[in-house]
Amino acid sequence: MSGITSFIRGFISILQGMWITLQNLVGRRKITLLYPYQRPDISPRWRGIFYLPYNDEAGRINCVGCTLCAQACPTGVITMTKMGAGKHASVNAFTMDLGRCMFCNLCIEACPFDAIHMSTRFELASLDRGVSLLTIDKLARGGADAVERTKRTIEAALEQEAAAKAAAAAAKAQAAASAQPTEGSGA
Amino acid sequence: MTAMQPAVGASTSSDMTINLGPQHPSTHGVLRLMVALDGEYVKSCRPVIGYLHRGLERMMAARPYRQSVPFTDRLDYCASLNSNLAISQAIERIGGMAVPERAQYLRVMLCEMNRIASHLIFFGTYAADIGATTAFLYAFRERERLLDLLEAYTGARLTYNWIRPGGVASDMPEGYAQAVCAFLDGFLKELDAYDTLLTKNPIFRVRTEGVGIISPEKAIAHGASGPVLRGSGVNIDLRRTEPYDAYPRMQFDVPVRTEGDCLARYLVRVEEMRQSARIIRQCLREMPEGEHWGKQPKVFRPAAGEAYSRTESPRGELSIYLVSDGTANPVRVRVRGPSFVHLSMLHELVRGVKVADMIAILGSLDTVLGEVDR
Repeated sequence: MSGITSFIRGFISILQGMWITLQNLVGRRKITLLYPYQRPDISPRWRGIFYLPYNDEAGRINCVGCTLCAQACPTGVITMTKMGAGKHASVNAFTMDLGRCMFCNLCIEACPFDAIHMSTRFELASLDRGVSLLTIDKLARGGADAVERTKRTIEAALEQEAAAKAAAAAAKAQAAASAQPTEGSGA
Repeated sequence: MTAMQPAVGASTSSDMTINLGPQHPSTHGVLRLMVALDGEYVKSCRPVIGYLHRGLERMMAARPYRQSVPFTDRLDYCASLNSNLAISQAIERIGGMAVPERAQYLRVMLCEMNRIASHLIFFGTYAADIGATTAFLYAFRERERLLDLLEAYTGARLTYNWIRPGGVASDMPEGYAQAVCAFLDGFLKELDAYDTLLTKNPIFRVRTEGVGIISPEKAIAHGASGPVLRGSGVNIDLRRTEPYDAYPRMQFDVPVRTEGDCLARYLVRVEEMRQSARIIRQCLREMPEGEHWGKQPKVFRPAAGEAYSRTESPRGELSIYLVSDGTANPVRVRVRGPSFVHLSMLHELVRGVKVADMIAILGSLDTVLGEVDR
């Protein structure tokens, strides 16, 4: 007797399960994607591969080489060498080793100049380790061209600053020179 | 080699020692179980851990306080926001930081969303352990939608690093509350259907009912926590008994079952998902306007001392202990993880059961090896 009731109970449970799977089979759109051909909809906040935005107005990337991001990084992903000085500074080398990166967002939050961003690109798989070592040419939006233009902008600004400084110094010297005789004559 | 000998029970010539794992789909990670078998019966079982050991505690102690948060993502990777919360709370306590009220609600919401995602992994993998593939696929489909939501908020799908000392790293994107509510509406309906697939199924019931019974005394003696403890009839939930963040203002039930078997632990977790959905709804409804991040000191050097934070992660009590000597780095970081504690009960639970029941018991403890090995 108990054999028959348990058989019936089991049969009902199978029907219940089949009903649920049938509903899912017929009533639902599939959510899988044929990945390389169909691309997923990625959130704009996605923390993917980094880039250094290029500032068209200023003609340079925003980075000033302050190393705050490198200090904020828990795994030491970022290395950079500074170029220029004072107000006119940038980097001529900026390397990120994504093989160690945790994509934790701390470098981006540390940056006071909005110089480093994360894109929605996520495909890092490669047969070559060198691919995950991002140099500044790969990081800067606009590539090597942007880096070259940044360099020129900084150099021009530095030259201009030096010229202005020299002119100011010359003007000061001239003023001092022209002031001296009058002082002398006055005495 | 002594390491190859099973630890408990003397083996005779008729016993067979078998290594289950470290690459076995039902060990949920890189866990190796050295089991001595007498036919189909388990005579003794010794878990071998450490395959995933990275020295996270030491790594966290070697860095400034606030840089240790991304490492906690790698503890319990199924529920990393809950680990973020544990370390953030510890750092806030040691540094005397305040958390704005809105951030508290955001934290609770994120943690509960992560709790659902984590319990869905349990639901799916446990069904797969027992042999039901359909529930596994359905659970991961639901989880996928939840991860999309977490991705829209935090930008990551697994290692979020979004709950930080002093608050949450960002506020919600626009229209997020509606998206979450829409998900919850569908999810609760689906959950009932998925639950039917397992709980109404006589095979699943036979495999889990009365299997792996943990008495309340034993659970307490071993230091069990979370659903394992509540499945044994002990009503302790840190969100209730030692509430933190916005939990004191939340209305929710703590599911408790007295059977103490695998089915009880399963049912507690399924009910917890429903309660988590309730908490998320309350958070979205009652969330005040304001800052998502409190004022942060530029250089963080807490005074010498110690701090201990206890949180209820999906697996149980996740606590972090910090010792400061007044410098920028902690002297000691200690993680008290629930998975490690629960895994230490395994050898007692599986003695004398069949191999298939051992898998059911291990699955019902819901251990995550990232946190066992640290």
